[in-house]
Amino acid sequence: MSEADQFDSALDLLRRLDPKHTSEHLNSLISLVPSLTEDLLSSVDQPLTIARCRKTGRDYLLCDYNRDGDSYRSPWSGEFETPLGGSGPGGVDDQGNNEGAGEGAVPSERVRKMEIRANEAFDVYRELYYEGGVSSVYFWNLDDGFAGVVLLKKVATPAGKSQGTWDSIHVFEAVDRARTAHYKLTSTVILHLSTGNDALGEMDLSGNMTRQIESDLPVDDDTSHIANIGKLVEDMELKMRNLLQEVYFGKAKDVVGDLRSIAPLTQANRDKATHQEMINSMKR
Amino acid sequence: MPSQLATVSAFVEGAPPGELADVIADIKALTIESPALVSQLGPAFEKYNEEQFATVKLPGSSQFVIVSSHNSLGNGRYFDVESSSSFIFDHATQKASGVQSYVLESNHSDLVNSILKSLATHVKEHYPNASYGVYPIEDDSKIAILVVANKYSPNNFWNGRWRSLYIYSPSPSSLSGSMKVDVHYYEDGNVRLLTTKPVMASISSGSASTIVREIAGAEKKYQEELNKGFNNLSEGAFKGLRRQLPITRQKIEWDKIAGYRLGQDIGGGSSKR
Repeated sequence: MSEADQFDSALDLLRRLDPKHTSEHLNSLISLVPSLTEDLLSSVDQPLTIARCRKTGRDYLLCDYNRDGDSYRSPWSGEFETPLGGSGPGGVDDQGNNEGAGEGAVPSERVRKMEIRANEAFDVYRELYYEGGVSSVYFWNLDDGFAGVVLLKKVATPAGKSQGTWDSIHVFEAVDRARTAHYKLTSTVILHLSTGNDALGEMDLSGNMTRQIESDLPVDDDTSHIANIGKLVEDMELKMRNLLQEVYFGKAKDVVGDLRSIAPLTQANRDKATHQEMINSMKR
Repeated sequence: MPSQLATVSAFVEGAPPGELADVIADIKALTIESPALVSQLGPAFEKYNEEQFATVKLPGSSQFVIVSSHNSLGNGRYFDVESSSSFIFDHATQKASGVQSYVLESNHSDLVNSILKSLATHVKEHYPNASYGVYPIEDDSKIAILVVANKYSPNNFWNGRWRSLYIYSPSPSSLSGSMKVDVHYYEDGNVRLLTTKPVMASISSGSASTIVREIAGAEKKYQEELNKGFNNLSEGAFKGLRRQLPITRQKIEWDKIAGYRLGQDIGGGSSKR
């Protein structure tokens, strides 16, 4: 049994166990097979945590891509913030390098400029689509381009006992080509919904879905990158919102109806037979 | 930190309907270094099967019977009233063996049998594919009534289970229990519906038909509430999280994103367009 097989088994298990408790299952798997720790942490999406930027007072989101040990880089100040209150430029490797992906990575000056613009753009996007919530965008350098993650989180204001949380995690790569760039986008939405009352009891509808696309788009300058990534994310979120709606409120409801029928089955079968007879008579 | 056995036992407990074998295969792969662990999972399998109302076909029979704590005779043996038989259930492989004839000895034998008859009619009318059982419990003082419906469609990446448990107490005549639904959808993702609804009702008469009528009424009402729940979440919490389109009903013009000004284009944008 190779480590790769174990990694696949761990992912398969996470795809089966209750998605509301993915973080706990992840910790269990890590304690069971410590050698999988890094691979699992970098490939399993978890609900995002919110922190407040000390310098600007604005909220930002934490993930593996802006983490350096215990500290996280705020997209608004560009600085790492430690839980103890310090801030700094982030981790630097033994070559004095801290531009690439990895622990404590900070983008180059050019990519940081794009990152600032992307944060402003997705802040507008967030307000238009989410009317609240928090957004954060993190970029890092690649040898032949750059990569990044667009994060969005919204917690629904509870009305009665209903609750909802939406976490979007869009990871992309932009590889430079002549006058175009090749984009690869992997998007995950984690959606938790729950409601309950005396007549209904407890109802919990939770999960996550992941989709990928690749696309070549024209690039004039760095501004085009922001517009291209914006369009890709916007289209993907529209697609995923429709998909989630279909699975959560269509498929799940249909399966309940397949398990148990409100209408008596003899009547349902009779209706079906009558319907079939009508179709047959129309065919004749 | 919980022991490794506690960790993998929790994985077993969380297996979705119809996916226990897949979960066990994953656990085996992950604990390949300590193979003894899987052999210690017996109690976890037993707990899972009894809680989930595992169903099994008896050798030589076409009907499924239920495995639960309510019809356990101990030592892995369970009884079924309708087929007047008892059997050994292997919790790891979910197979039955050692079938023997079983004669119900209970002061409520007549009631148990007439509840079985009424329940059979009810189940047939509302479940395309379900198993049920009626068993005297707690030293013959109460009667447990179980219904479990499964539908597995692994080729389409979904599985589902409905479980009903009702405990009938003769004096005063009352019904208590719960209905639970568990649906798993896992195509390029992992979505789970988990519901539970407690049932509490006092019953005017202790006749089988009255008891089953109460059950039928509670289940119908619950399923209608559940459908309302889907609708409320869709129209309420879901819509409140993310709009399908901005208030302007147009996708964003990303080339002009720098020109969008808070408070003008956002929210009140319609006045300008």
